[in-house]
Amino acid sequence: MIIELFYAEGCQQCLRNRETLKATAQQTLPDMVWREINVLEEIDYAVELGILTLPAIAIDQELVFTKLPSAAQLTQALIERVTKEKSYGN
Amino acid sequence: MLTIGKVAATAQISTDALRYYEREGLIKPSSISEGGYRLYNQDAVMRLHFIKQAQACGFTLSEIRELLLLSQHTSACCNDVRQLAIEKKLQLEAKIKVLKMMSSSLDAMITNCSNHSLPVTDCPILEAIADIHEVKKP
Repeated sequence: MIIELFYAEGCQQCLRNRETLKATAQQTLPDMVWREINVLEEIDYAVELGILTLPAIAIDQELVFTKLPSAAQLTQALIERVTKEKSYGN
Repeated sequence: MLTIGKVAATAQISTDALRYYEREGLIKPSSISEGGYRLYNQDAVMRLHFIKQAQACGFTLSEIRELLLLSQHTSACCNDVRQLAIEKKLQLEAKIKVLKMMSSSLDAMITNCSNHSLPVTDCPILEAIADIHEVKKP
């Protein structure tokens, strides 16, 4: 699973809880990939995902959070996706 | 001091637009004359110029209000404005993407309509648009 945090350089709010969220994601899914994307460097990709405001988080190339979630919200979103993937796999 | 007509002419906008900006809280007269006329100072002209420039960059009036508030906020910094500009760019790029898709749809329809002399009842463009409408029906 790939988790992508879109931010703008100089945006304090964008990276405020970055370490906490990253640690939460690693704890929930140890094999996940965490990417931090400066939106100006990948603006076409951000537009493709439908990102209009910052910060934003996409999971597996799907926009999931349009503002930074709490650690609990991120955990819940990850668990829901894993459960959904498993149910599709069966 | 400038009357509403003069300030509007200087800023190249209508007096109706100026009154609208006033109702939206973007600008206000610096004083009212004894006769009850609104009077504006040079700051108002600069503010109107700012509003017009911001509109040209795609900012809505409520976003311009936010920019004006930020410009007066001593604790705000350039990064706050930069973030608004980046978010506006994202919105514009998203609109451009949609417009490009619309343009491509029209390209396909124009190409398919090669027989110019067909009666309008058999027009492939109208048929294609009708088909799009069919798809969208629940």
